[in-house]
Amino acid sequence: MKQWIRWSGLVGFITISALLVLGWLFAAGPIIKYSIETFGSQAANAKVEVENISLTFDPFGIEIEGLQVANTDKPMENLLQFERAVADIELLPLLLGKGIVNEVALTGLAFSTPRQTSGALVKVIEEEAESSTDEETETTADKSEASLSQQALPTADELLSREPLLTEQRGKAFKNSVETIKSDSDKALAALPDSKAFASYEDDFKRITSGRFDSIKDFQQRKKEFDGLKKRIKHDQQAISQASKVFANGKKELQGQWSGLQKAPAEDFNNLKSKYKLDGAGVANLSRLLFGDKVGEWSQEGLYWYEKARPFLVSDDAETVAAQDESETARSEGRFVHYATDRPLPDLLIRQVQLALQLDAGQVAVSIYDITHQQDIIDRPTRIVATGKGLKDIQSLDLTGSLDHRVAPGKDVFDLNIKGMALNNYDVGAMGLKLDRSQLDIIGQAELISGAVDANTIAQFTRAKFSSKDKTQVAVEMAKALAKIDHFDIQGKAKGALTAPDISIESDLDTQLSQAFNQRLKEKQQELEAQLKSALNDKLLAYGGDYKEQLKAMDLANGSLGEKQAKLKQLAGSELSSFQDQQKADAKSKLEQEKKAQQAKLAEEKRKARAKAKAAADKKKKQLEKEAKEKFKKLF
Amino acid sequence: MIAMLAKLLKALNSDSAPGQIALAFALALITGLTPLFSLHNAVIVFLACILRINFGAFLLGTLFFSGLAYLIDPAAIALGEAVLTDVAYQGFLTDLYQSDFWRATRFNNTLVLGSLMIAFMGFIPVLLMSRWLISVYRHKLMAWVDKLKITKVLKASKFYKVYQALAD
Repeated sequence: MKQWIRWSGLVGFITISALLVLGWLFAAGPIIKYSIETFGSQAANAKVEVENISLTFDPFGIEIEGLQVANTDKPMENLLQFERAVADIELLPLLLGKGIVNEVALTGLAFSTPRQTSGALVKVIEEEAESSTDEETETTADKSEASLSQQALPTADELLSREPLLTEQRGKAFKNSVETIKSDSDKALAALPDSKAFASYEDDFKRITSGRFDSIKDFQQRKKEFDGLKKRIKHDQQAISQASKVFANGKKELQGQWSGLQKAPAEDFNNLKSKYKLDGAGVANLSRLLFGDKVGEWSQEGLYWYEKARPFLVSDDAETVAAQDESETARSEGRFVHYATDRPLPDLLIRQVQLALQLDAGQVAVSIYDITHQQDIIDRPTRIVATGKGLKDIQSLDLTGSLDHRVAPGKDVFDLNIKGMALNNYDVGAMGLKLDRSQLDIIGQAELISGAVDANTIAQFTRAKFSSKDKTQVAVEMAKALAKIDHFDIQGKAKGALTAPDISIESDLDTQLSQAFNQRLKEKQQELEAQLKSALNDKLLAYGGDYKEQLKAMDLANGSLGEKQAKLKQLAGSELSSFQDQQKADAKSKLEQEKKAQQAKLAEEKRKARAKAKAAADKKKKQLEKEAKEKFKKLF
Repeated sequence: MIAMLAKLLKALNSDSAPGQIALAFALALITGLTPLFSLHNAVIVFLACILRINFGAFLLGTLFFSGLAYLIDPAAIALGEAVLTDVAYQGFLTDLYQSDFWRATRFNNTLVLGSLMIAFMGFIPVLLMSRWLISVYRHKLMAWVDKLKITKVLKASKFYKVYQALAD
């Protein structure tokens, strides 16, 4: 057996192994330090610096001292820093390239601490320099937007100047139409015959048609003149018809537009009213007025810290999936077949992080569990539990969070529960109001999915006492109304894109105060509405003031056109008889005279004949009477 | 490389036990065919160090079988896949998977398991075959090879000088 054992080989193996281990022990610290600073800076987009890193052996792990993460937005400030972190690392999984950290204990954690050197990355500084010009422009725009959004209740003039008004749009269109129609009407009127032309036409007609034709030549001359005159009259008639059309169409168009313009102020008023909620509910949104800024500030701060912490807690889903796909398809390395286990091993897992947050109110113990970018492997989300007990002015504070990225899209959920928070001398900020004292309980939930947030928080104020130093009527009335209120709730909601969520605030404070302020708000509302109506009517008058005069002038012009048309029609109806006609008329006249003479002669003859016949009849009658008398005589 | 080859030739031509060279080749089969940075290879290297085998033959054999592994890898992966996903072994493999030590061996990798199984299957044949080949070489081929022209040319080269230096 001994001839098969090579003892020098054993010594060599042990020596080489020891050298390798020692080399690794010396190199591991700097390598880990370099990795944390390099990859941490990439994740934080600002400098991450580590003072020292050393290895520990019982249990095996690393100790990080003096870590600083600079703030991207404020390079001379640290986002966070801690004095010491001890990580307990499992050794065997390291042979597989898996970093399994059982526990990380952080001490001396502090936020927003000042730095002695800038924490901005060189690349970031260059990019900032390039985009400074753009940012200046954007900042100006942002400021103007911010100043607009900060206006709680704009005046009537501001509303009218800010909003696109139908009154203005239609008024401008109406004015343009009036000008166009006036121009067309003037052109049409200029083409019409004037009174002189009419007198000339009458004279010419009289001259041409009166008197007898001396000859055919005379007739032809007059005929030529007559035809020319009729042609001119016909042309004038067409011009008058055209002018009538222009007036009719113009009048129709103006009447239609005028009707729209008259309705515009009312429509504008309704639009403005609905948009700016100049009703009681809108103006009475006191909770927003009183606490809106603070809620917005807290929301922004919460989202800011969420965005800062998120890259360190979980990785983007797409990256994880891509990484998994890559490992699955690397053929030459085979693939790992996983089995059911209580101890799955992702590439990096920090089972538990314990830290103590030092806040103004006191210390909050924070535990973060299962930090990994491969949650699908351990089948557990990253969980956050923060507990504050014995805090100054706060009875208890509990925050639980779950960052679940096992299935895309990832879902991050947070629950906040603060009990017995004492508010003293809280400056409300509006109308000199101050919340002298109050007890506050807060219950909040937030859900973040695919860059969208849906958060809901209810703050319950009890034993509230308000006061105001302002002497304005509103402030005095407000303070009086608030003095009667002992408790109220405020419900804050944030919904929409994570970068710019839509924040809304509701409160029963509004309901409680609405009665007290109803009258005041009505007055305010009526005042504003009256101002709006007045301003809109002014605009209407400015655009449509001379409309009626214009219409009257058009009617008058149209009436005179009718008279002119009738007169021209009459003139155009006149006819010039021909020379032949004149001779025919003479012959006809002569014939008629002869006919009349003959008829007279015939009538005389007839009369004579009738007289002769009558005389004969009378004679015969007398003869018969005489014969009859004689017969009677003979008979008797 | 030249020195390593010279050592091998020296060993082949010397009175070293053929079994020592053959065992070096057989162990090299495992380190060569399986992924180098695996826990089991640390054990193999340890054995190669403490056992009285020809280390040059072991290193050269590892190089040779690493080259061969490029051809065998697809088959090894297929074999590993078949075994690791075989329903009959699921209970046993799941038990192994619960242990950090066994997971550190990367037994659940298709290539590691497949190539290791092929290497184990080839261990004894390679051991016996190489032992027989060494015997044949020493008894029948060595004299004949010495007479070849190419051998004479080689003896005049730098390689032979190295070989001589080692032989002395």
